[in-house]
Amino acid sequence: MSAAANAKTELQSPGLPGSASKPARKWFLAALLIALLLFPLTNLVSGSMNYVLFMMLYIFMYIAMASSWNIIGGYTGYTSLGHNVFFAIGAYFSGVMLVYFKISPYLTAPLAGLLAMGVGLLVGVISLRTRGPAFIISTVAMILLVKITFDNWDYIGGSNGLSLPIPDLDVTISKFPPYYAMLLLAVGAVYLSYRIRHSKFGLGLRAISQDETKAEVAGINTNYYKILAFAISALFVGMAGSIWGYYLTYLRPNIFLTVLMAAQLVLMTLLGGKGTVAGPVVGAVVFILANEFFVSQLGFTELNIVATGVLMIVVLLFFPEGIVGTLKERGKLPQFLDWE
Amino acid sequence: MLLEVQNVHAGYGAGPSILQGLSMAVEKGQSYCIIGPNGAGKSTLLKVICGLLHPRQGQVLFKGNPIHTLRTDQILMQGISFVPQDRSLFPDMTVRENLRMGGYILKDRKEVERRIDAVYELFPLLKERGNQLAKTLSGGQQQMLAIGRSMVLRPEIIMLDEPSLGLAPKIARQIFDSIQFLKQGGMTVLLVEQNARLGLKSADWGFVLDLGKMSFDGPADSILADERIQELYLGRQKPPRGGETA
Repeated sequence: MSAAANAKTELQSPGLPGSASKPARKWFLAALLIALLLFPLTNLVSGSMNYVLFMMLYIFMYIAMASSWNIIGGYTGYTSLGHNVFFAIGAYFSGVMLVYFKISPYLTAPLAGLLAMGVGLLVGVISLRTRGPAFIISTVAMILLVKITFDNWDYIGGSNGLSLPIPDLDVTISKFPPYYAMLLLAVGAVYLSYRIRHSKFGLGLRAISQDETKAEVAGINTNYYKILAFAISALFVGMAGSIWGYYLTYLRPNIFLTVLMAAQLVLMTLLGGKGTVAGPVVGAVVFILANEFFVSQLGFTELNIVATGVLMIVVLLFFPEGIVGTLKERGKLPQFLDWE
Repeated sequence: MLLEVQNVHAGYGAGPSILQGLSMAVEKGQSYCIIGPNGAGKSTLLKVICGLLHPRQGQVLFKGNPIHTLRTDQILMQGISFVPQDRSLFPDMTVRENLRMGGYILKDRKEVERRIDAVYELFPLLKERGNQLAKTLSGGQQQMLAIGRSMVLRPEIIMLDEPSLGLAPKIARQIFDSIQFLKQGGMTVLLVEQNARLGLKSADWGFVLDLGKMSFDGPADSILADERIQELYLGRQKPPRGGETA
């Protein structure tokens, strides 16, 4: 860690992150955001960027979700393997609102997020009584419970699924709405993660992850904090679900409620650096691009999964705290990636 | 009386009572050292006072009000802070973040920063190391940080469980010197110490615990001088000059 640089910021503004003193980061992020905002326009010129746009919105989605997962899994230290439940809830809520009430998912997405958050609160009250492996199992159980419920709930299509009306847009611009929506979610989730990282609440969560008893002695109502962190971590996942469901135009419990999807959030965050702001972002980008590369080279032969697994092992061998986490620890993190 | 422990029985889980009808009284502005053999219930007593363990019987009064049913954070808020044996630092947080954790229950973040600066004045070394992770500090520095951390709340009573544990004798003396600071600042200090001589030397009053009961209490220097207690708890031989072996 660059102690000298940190000391400087610390002296200038005690207690507050020194964003003003990190111009490289600021300019990098501003330039990146502008580039991402303008990028889809290239499709109007060439018309052949749809695949790239898809990849990008897919990455944005995972950035939003991994950054959210990081709030409970990274800062708080509670590994949830059931976060796709919130994804499914978001997707189904907006899907039902569209099919039965003709309201666009882009309007109902925030509500879907709040609903996911509410469910997170309820589930959290129960499952956060457990710790460690028991908590992980309880989140997996959450997937199974919701899947059985959705499979047998006729109103939302049961196990056959729910077909949504296909948006009537020209193919050159059809990916624009989900692209911008996912970009917004990614930016929002990362910003939320950043704000929490630098808040008193975030300090409390990190205390919980290091030692729950000590955190309690320090005066933290650990139960309340954990439940709140769990619920907050569901917010953007729920919203991402509602956009993604509309993008797929087909909702089925089988697609949304597999452990694999939740596991990916965990893997990405570990890859990038658990408990850091930039980690889940870097992790999502590297993980998805690597996976896509392996699929293109090896096909969906399951060899691609092996290759991704090998990549994970190799990276974590050399970067035990994840890419961002380890670089930061060694003081080698480029400034534009130091979002702490 | 600032703090009173009355006929307290306490133990862990379904296990036997470690404290068996213990009573003690603590006056404001004094420093106390609790000694006794292993298993006498010294640490357990501190845990009961700070609410980490609720007594099965008996009560704890702080300024005349019962606190033994309160949660740890509520007791902390009333002005009793506890530095446990393991120092309870957050190893992966910086020194400054650890100090912030000390003031966690205060609402005003700016006030916390001001108080941290006050702690820095007392322990300039902590200021130097402000951005260093706590796990990279030496044992003595960690103990200093643990004490500094509990001072952020400006408690009326500060309880320390074995502050000299694992420290070189010279460092242990430095820690006890800083404990004197606290007392001079008007705090009431309650400490448990295996190193009974060192502990008693720095305290006004001594409590001798045995088998979960108060077996003796009196002015620290008279306990140090008492031959019977020397024999039972301090080891019979006269301490070598400046020696700390208990």
